Amino acid sequence: MRKQNGLISAIHYGVMIILLVLTLFPFYMTLVNSLKNRRDEIRNFWGLPRVFQWDNYSDAAVFLWPFIVNSLIVTGSIVAGVLVISTMAAYSFSRFQFPGKEFLFFLIIMLYMIPGFLLLVPQFIFIKNMGLLNTYLGQIFPPMALGATMATLLVREFFNNIPNSLFEAAQIEGAGEFLIFFKVAVPLSYPIISVVAIWNTITGWNNYIWPLVITSGDAVKPVILALGRIPGSIEQGLGLQLAGYVIASLPLILLFIFATRTFITGLTSGSVKG
Amino acid sequence: MNTNHGMSGTKADRRLPSGKISLVRRIWKARQAYYFLIPAFAALFLFKYGPFVVAIFKSFYQWNGANINRFIGFDNFARMLQDQSLHESLRNIVILTSGALVANLTFPLIAALLVYHIGKKRLAEIARVLFIIPLVVPGIVLIHIWSWIYASRGGVLNELLKLIGLESWTHSWLGESATVIWALVFYNFPWIGGIFFLIYLAGFMSISPELFEAGEIDGMNRWNRFWRLELPMIRSQIKLVVMMTLIMQIQNFELPLILTGGGPGDASLTPALHLYNRAFLHNEMGYASAIGVMLFLIILCITVVNFKLLKSTDKID
Repeated sequence: MRKQNGLISAIHYGVMIILLVLTLFPFYMTLVNSLKNRRDEIRNFWGLPRVFQWDNYSDAAVFLWPFIVNSLIVTGSIVAGVLVISTMAAYSFSRFQFPGKEFLFFLIIMLYMIPGFLLLVPQFIFIKNMGLLNTYLGQIFPPMALGATMATLLVREFFNNIPNSLFEAAQIEGAGEFLIFFKVAVPLSYPIISVVAIWNTITGWNNYIWPLVITSGDAVKPVILALGRIPGSIEQGLGLQLAGYVIASLPLILLFIFATRTFITGLTSGSVKG
Repeated sequence: MNTNHGMSGTKADRRLPSGKISLVRRIWKARQAYYFLIPAFAALFLFKYGPFVVAIFKSFYQWNGANINRFIGFDNFARMLQDQSLHESLRNIVILTSGALVANLTFPLIAALLVYHIGKKRLAEIARVLFIIPLVVPGIVLIHIWSWIYASRGGVLNELLKLIGLESWTHSWLGESATVIWALVFYNFPWIGGIFFLIYLAGFMSISPELFEAGEIDGMNRWNRFWRLELPMIRSQIKLVVMMTLIMQIQNFELPLILTGGGPGDASLTPALHLYNRAFLHNEMGYASAIGVMLFLIILCITVVNFKLLKSTDKID
């Protein structure tokens, strides 16, 4: 019996390790080759770099830096907008009874059935007519509208679980609704706010199609659009591009390291609702 | 509308126009609720529902986004019937969706099960974090990495085949119409580093321990425990994965755009990429809108069917 258990657990861990190796192998290859020069890459494809070519990283970082700043501005603004809009809307849906509530809520849920690319063309024309092609604002508004909708559902659920007595106490003290919102509801909802913030940071950083459609030239492009075309010497080869991939991933990786639990919750609730 | 509003039931409400008056009054009384909703619905109408209505309208127009803007009835939809590229893209998306269903229902589930049954908590935590690393890396970066894996010269896959002496098996994976669609199906193999692994894992973790104890008393072996206990207990997760896979695949766009541009020929074109090409390479905004409307209707059908199925199984439970 014991022997059999040992065998089963050997299979268990064996299979899992094989799956892990397969899953992580591309990242291993990316990391080791991002530090090689062209010659090393050809002769020594699988192993660790013989000479660490840190130039790849500094060159890639110099080229990508303006794009990273663009990404930070756009993503940061999307997150800020989403948080303001969604906490306000969620507060309304959670706290009030009012005519048309069901219908307005239905409009929010319905949005999940409308695929993004159906809106691509009219959104593009709309942004163009507003003169927002090639601007930060043009990149911010549509993703913000979508993110805020999803976030409203999450935050509303959270507000629903705040005991009503807390609101009533503030009301008795004569606080107006906006004051109650800022002083009671928002401070209590930091856990859900951080989940929403992380989810929208991930999607904001990942946005590809929308900036691809509405930006031309390099002035306001996000970093994700600048990958794969970092100029460098032939001698640097592929390593330079791979270093660029690593650099563009760093903000999300750091976020993951410092907020693993919230990151995972954000990913799960975000993609299931979205 | 105004039949529903006589809630307060006072005598004044019996007079005929009172329904309207009380509605206005009720709206006024709840005005603060609407103030809080203004930013959300301004954004929603300007950037989502507005464009949505425009897209449906323009699917009946010949429209280049600027000076050409002519109502042509159902011509765009009729053109879809003749559009060889669209047909090819639909065939591709059936293959991609079937592949993704098989992918998302096998390896991520197996990996979640293995992680779930790790006895040591700390070890399980580490395994979980390692499995989701591909999810942390930006999706576009992942696609670029796989573009390198599939590259014909210096690509990881071909180098690997050379390494193990199978040089004759090397291909220009993304450049040959026979291999390209399978390259897309096998993108991100073993398909674990995704949201689905986390969904399955959450499902397993929510099974009540008493069920396992009962199973042990009945002398269930591992095989039976999986098929008769664990798998049935996560069927709502499985349904969710199927539903998400279908909807995500219909929207599949970035992968072929970056890896192949839809080529060679139309061998890896997807409907969403076709829409993009028509709109932004050929300025056929009206036709692109019509394709979008068709895809929207497909998604709507899937959602409705799924909703019905979910409801019916809830009743059985």
